[in-house]
Amino acid sequence: MKFVKKLLRYVLLFFILGIMVFPLLWMFRVSLMESGNSISFDNLLTASFSLQNYIDLFTNSQIGKYLYNSIFVGLIVTVGNIVFCFMTAYTIARYKYIVNKVLFVSVILILMIPIHIIIIPMYLLMVNFGIYDSYFALILPWLVNPIGIFLVKQYIESIPPAMEEAARIDGAGEMRILFRIVMPLCKPVLAVLAIQVFFTNWNSFLFPFILTQSDSVRTLPVALALLQGHQAIDWQHLMAGSAIAVIPVLIVFIVLQKQIVSGITAGGIKQ
Amino acid sequence: MKQKKTTALFLALPWIVTLLLFWLYPIIYSFIVGFTDKQLLSKTFQWVGFDNYKALLSDDSFLLALKNTAIFVVGTIPLTTIIALLLALLVNKQFKGRGLFRAGYFLPSITSMVVIALIFTNLFQRGGYIALLAEMLGFTPPQHGFLLDSSTALFSIMAMDVWMAVGYYMLIFLAGLKSIPQELYEAARIQGAGSIRQFFSITLPLLKPVALFILVINSIKSFQVFVEIFVMTQGKFETSTMVYFIYEAGLTTKFNFGYASAAAYILFLIVAVFSFMQFRLLKNRGTV
Repeated sequence: MKFVKKLLRYVLLFFILGIMVFPLLWMFRVSLMESGNSISFDNLLTASFSLQNYIDLFTNSQIGKYLYNSIFVGLIVTVGNIVFCFMTAYTIARYKYIVNKVLFVSVILILMIPIHIIIIPMYLLMVNFGIYDSYFALILPWLVNPIGIFLVKQYIESIPPAMEEAARIDGAGEMRILFRIVMPLCKPVLAVLAIQVFFTNWNSFLFPFILTQSDSVRTLPVALALLQGHQAIDWQHLMAGSAIAVIPVLIVFIVLQKQIVSGITAGGIKQ
Repeated sequence: MKQKKTTALFLALPWIVTLLLFWLYPIIYSFIVGFTDKQLLSKTFQWVGFDNYKALLSDDSFLLALKNTAIFVVGTIPLTTIIALLLALLVNKQFKGRGLFRAGYFLPSITSMVVIALIFTNLFQRGGYIALLAEMLGFTPPQHGFLLDSSTALFSIMAMDVWMAVGYYMLIFLAGLKSIPQELYEAARIQGAGSIRQFFSITLPLLKPVALFILVINSIKSFQVFVEIFVMTQGKFETSTMVYFIYEAGLTTKFNFGYASAAAYILFLIVAVFSFMQFRLLKNRGTV
């Protein structure tokens, strides 16, 4: 009886797992199929494997450039968030002035305001600044984010200020205390923040889409979405492009699963 | 003391600039533009008062977008929450390979929405795998594929969204389950409560704050559905949502900034009322 129960449990577990991973497995399989093969179920199992679609994309399309753009923008935004979220979080956590109360309230407020309200003005702002369709448009608005500030602030408040005070008595300057003493202590939460920011940026579509129009600054998700429906591209190549967008995320997820999960739940539960 | 104040201000400067320039200014700007007839190519524009708002409320495509967004929110949220809870309960206990199943269920939610939408565009198309599956189960799939039919397109996209999101909320439920003290279950067991009784008298009540939290973030997300609509149907076949409407009115052909901004503010108002009600709910439970 107990055995049957266990067996049923695993059947259910694997059934759901199948539903959850099938679309991604399908993507990889189709991306490795020769162009022109039909995507029928039989072909999924029997068609030969080839990397030709990937080679085609890198030689005949701009995908290398899109990939570079995604990585470049992602890295700068991530570094920006590590430094600036940390600085702001430190101010809110340690300096107890009224101005910081105001700051904190603004952080919470921004968290709740739906992002669609800034679509049109953001577009106009970038056009008026003359940075529409440039890296600046993709980077500047996202160098610091309220969720990140909140996450780091919670962490800093859990660190006893004794070390900072000792350093202050020894005559260390504020900047030195901040970056040499507190920042290293915050490594775990900053790692979580970095992963979250990079992922969000890597997958982001709406703003990169409305703020760019040329291939030279276009990121991977935007390029993929616009490729679809082109006469010149078939599903095999489209799925190879999609796989290129997914593989880095998969690798990071496998290596850093623990940090990713803790980032989600730390941002989530406050009881 | 004064030096400390300067330091504090300096440290917060990047956030203050970002806040003023990229958040507050756009929010105020679009509020004002909503009362004008500003378009891309017109250098001058005029105050039109509430004309944009009045026009919106009699604009069929706006009302359709509003209706679709409502269907999206009301349709996906309960389903996502319940499935996520069931998944969390399924993988909460200790067993072999637990980590693998958790990771697998979570996988769709870290994948780019564009990629997911592309994959499902194929799976939903005529003769695609989902049509085959429907036939196997005895249903007749729509003639031109699920996404090219007004009666199925929106629901297909909603189903995909539920599939994608459940793993993420499962993780949050798992964290909630972990925070329930084990002693409660032991005490219940000693008093002879079965596992079903334990679930309804301990697990469910103690998970309420987590469930409400999930409700809040999920509804903010669902009000803003855009990417999947853009990739899968371009708003055709009665799938246009509020954000898609704003995009279409403001940033395609006509570049009607005033009109789109007014639409954005109507959505803002709806979300604000909705969030406010949910926070009141949270507060009443004494959890925030």
